[in-house]
Amino acid sequence: MSLLRVEDLHVRFDLPHGGRLHAVQGVSFGVDDGERLGLVGESGCGKTTALLALMGLLPPTAEVDGHVEIDGVEILRGGEDAMRPSRWTDIAMIFQGAMNAFNPVKTVGSQIVEPMEFHGIATGSAAKDQAAELLRLVGIQPSAADRYPHEFSGGMRQRAAIAMALACNPKVLLADEPTTALDVMVQAQILQLLVALTKELGLAVILVTHDLPLVTQVCDRAVVMYAGRIAESGPVDTLFHDPRHPYTRLLFEATPDLTGDVDVVSIPGAPPRLDRELVGCPFEPRCDRAFDPCKVRTPALMDVAVNHEAACHLNDATVMAG
Amino acid sequence: MKAVEPAIAEGTALEAVPSARGNPVIQVLRERRSALLGFFIVAFFIVLAIVGPSLAPYSWTVPSGPVYAPPSAQHLLGTDGSGVDVLSEMMYGGRTSLIVGFAAALVAMIVGGGIGLTAGYTGGGTDVGLMRLTDYFLVIPDLVLMIVIATVFGPSLSHVILVIGLLLWTTTARIVRSQVKSIRERVYVRRARSLGASHRRIVFQHILPQVAPLLIATTVLTIAYAIFDESALAFLGVGVPGVSWGTMLEHAFERTAMTEGAWWAFVPPGLAIGLVVVGCYLMGQAIEDALNPRLRVAHLSIHSWRVRPAGRVVAPAEEPGG
Amino acid sequence: MHRADYVIKRVFFALMTVFVAVTINFLLFRALPGSAVANFSRAPHASPELKATLTHEFGLDQPLWKQYVLYLNQLVFHGNMGVSFADNQPVTGELAGKLGNTIGMVTVGTVLAIVIGVITGFVSAWRRSGAVDAVSTNTAIVFYALPTQFIGMMLIFLFAKYLPTAGMRNEVNNFFSGGNTWSSITDVASHMLLPALTLALTLFGEYTLVVRSSMLETLGEDYVLTARAKGLPQRRIVISHALRNAMLPIATLVALSLGFIVAGAILVEIVFSWPGIGQAVYEAVATRDYPMLQGAFLILTLSVVFFNFIADLIYFKLDPRITE
Repeated sequence: MSLLRVEDLHVRFDLPHGGRLHAVQGVSFGVDDGERLGLVGESGCGKTTALLALMGLLPPTAEVDGHVEIDGVEILRGGEDAMRPSRWTDIAMIFQGAMNAFNPVKTVGSQIVEPMEFHGIATGSAAKDQAAELLRLVGIQPSAADRYPHEFSGGMRQRAAIAMALACNPKVLLADEPTTALDVMVQAQILQLLVALTKELGLAVILVTHDLPLVTQVCDRAVVMYAGRIAESGPVDTLFHDPRHPYTRLLFEATPDLTGDVDVVSIPGAPPRLDRELVGCPFEPRCDRAFDPCKVRTPALMDVAVNHEAACHLNDATVMAG
Repeated sequence: MKAVEPAIAEGTALEAVPSARGNPVIQVLRERRSALLGFFIVAFFIVLAIVGPSLAPYSWTVPSGPVYAPPSAQHLLGTDGSGVDVLSEMMYGGRTSLIVGFAAALVAMIVGGGIGLTAGYTGGGTDVGLMRLTDYFLVIPDLVLMIVIATVFGPSLSHVILVIGLLLWTTTARIVRSQVKSIRERVYVRRARSLGASHRRIVFQHILPQVAPLLIATTVLTIAYAIFDESALAFLGVGVPGVSWGTMLEHAFERTAMTEGAWWAFVPPGLAIGLVVVGCYLMGQAIEDALNPRLRVAHLSIHSWRVRPAGRVVAPAEEPGG
Repeated sequence: MHRADYVIKRVFFALMTVFVAVTINFLLFRALPGSAVANFSRAPHASPELKATLTHEFGLDQPLWKQYVLYLNQLVFHGNMGVSFADNQPVTGELAGKLGNTIGMVTVGTVLAIVIGVITGFVSAWRRSGAVDAVSTNTAIVFYALPTQFIGMMLIFLFAKYLPTAGMRNEVNNFFSGGNTWSSITDVASHMLLPALTLALTLFGEYTLVVRSSMLETLGEDYVLTARAKGLPQRRIVISHALRNAMLPIATLVALSLGFIVAGAILVEIVFSWPGIGQAVYEAVATRDYPMLQGAFLILTLSVVFFNFIADLIYFKLDPRITE
């Protein structure tokens, strides 16, 4: 049994001028102890929304459906209040752009201690000692606990954000674009740190990014999302050597933007709008292998090999046969 | 440097207004009901100021009835402390108040816009010098200086307009400056410059059209302040000679309309000023909001996201969440 | 840059602002039609000896730059702002007596406005887009839009039967030395109620709107999401994360609205005959008592600069990021 299991997750947002946006359309995946899973896709494909749904951090306009289980215990269906105790103790998160994840008017140390005290992990000087220990673990001088976030460099702040995420010994760590806006050297260090921590602490990590090549370096498995659905999932090596969805292949081929702009992936076109019902394969307009059935039939996610699924008509013998 | 202006946050609208969407001012009027309401209020009073005096039932200077006659069929809004018809005074007085408001706001727009544009575009020492000057004027209490100047130079229409206009430019200057600074750095202005465009051409063809919506928003808000200040100067006896809404309040106060119970002598001008100010505020604020990209989702609110009630057909075991 | 440098910079800025104000003050009154001597001679009951003293003190027969130096000298080292045209008394002394009255009333009114503004703005943001928000925001806009003197007149119209509407009953103009007995306290309080309320009503609308948008902005910050992710309950997030950050713009707002507060105070004092600086301005304007007007302008500017500086220090205390 998986440590974290997500089954048929849907997220719909009410739009201000009426209508609904179906951001996550039935996504299922799981992650085990010590495993690193990549959740990959362009911006607007629903990966961050899915992550926020796992933490119960969606805005009031959202409606969720599906199941999220940790160690076999359902945590989603009770709503936000029921979810609160498992936050940070079961699942913790490193947010995109850790620059703003810290409250600017409180010291870094106090913000690491805060969840420990609230969840009853440790209090007072014991909590401070633990915070110092965590900072040392991520490679920051423990004395820096008394400093304010703006006194930290970008890389230090990201490390501190990781230390903060580890405060309550979570089982699963969610990392949303943890290396965006950091320079290449620091990026590599942060990723190394994440890998080392999973090995040392047996932590499961879900890494959300638009950068598929990066996922192949860091993660064991990857889930490629497009238009709120899973396009393909499997071990990273398999995806790299034998992609079974054109989107996965194109993501590998796309060269990262050198100016460092986030989410610029050079596949021509843009993901479809999700505020209306889609007909056919959502990737069809941008696909270099599209053919007639793609326009009218939506491909189902199906096994193409052991532990390897894809949602593309090219894998479906019955469709190919016409 | 201060982080926030009273009504308008500095550095608002760092993003360009997409020109493809057409004139943003018209766009806002079309899309936002509050802006349209503001527009109709202001438009109503403008029309009144133009045609009002010729429709006025009585003279607005010569008594046409007893002192403080209550509203009746003959005098719809009663008479003031000298027996002059209040409705006629209102119709004529609006003209003076609006002329002062609009003309002073125009002066402030030209001076503030000019200084902001120069400072933002030139940069360097000029920028520092002009902004220092602006900071000093921002601190010196406007109305008091207006009173002093109006007293020293004597009350007349043009003096009042200049005095108000020349002291209300500071906010405009700061907002225009920060906007110009960000536009100037944008790629195509740099490109225009490298292609050898003259400064004049860059300013008038590239920068001014982009600053215009924000400048209009600020100026509309300035009209409100100017009408306010006109009534305040009138209240001290250094306003525009003749009838204005401001002098009507002053007359009512001098002749103790409040304790005479003659509410009709001061409620109409007070409400008229309030209405025009509300109209300007609604319009200016709506334009500003439309330009402001920082419109965010609150991460916290009394409501929470919802769990979709368990499906009607499948999974009846789940209890509906909420 | 070091944090201490910030304070030094603000002190310098405050001093420079005062200097600019003093210079404007000097130039404005020397730019009057007719010479400054002629203006002094307009003092109706001034004896030739007094005129001679003034002419000497302020160098009125000297060139302009020398007059400027003497003016600064008299002001800075002797606190001398000239003599009132109305009663030949030194301006400084007269205004000092009235400053206390103004500060007392303005403090009560402003604090009231801040309390109302913070509470309604906060509730509005918290119940964003609901009925409470609509009522609170629209009320704020209405009071923000109504002229101060009109609000004051309405209050007199409505409450003249129940509350004193003019000045203070005791003839002693000094607010703080009105005696210590309970009756004099209630007397001052009852007289102050309507003026302070008028000022509060004039000011709170803007505070409500700014607190609302500041709170909304803070609630959209990533660290609020982080706090929520940590499992903290909403009340605790609001108190320990959002409020302090939302307060930052409020400190700035109060500082920037000081000019607005002064304008409101002048109008309120006129409406309620409150014996403060605003009333002095009103009388000086009516009698063209230039030295008094000049002095009042200077005192009001100095107060604004001073409180602006205090607000800077509060901001400095609240926000560890300030280094510049």
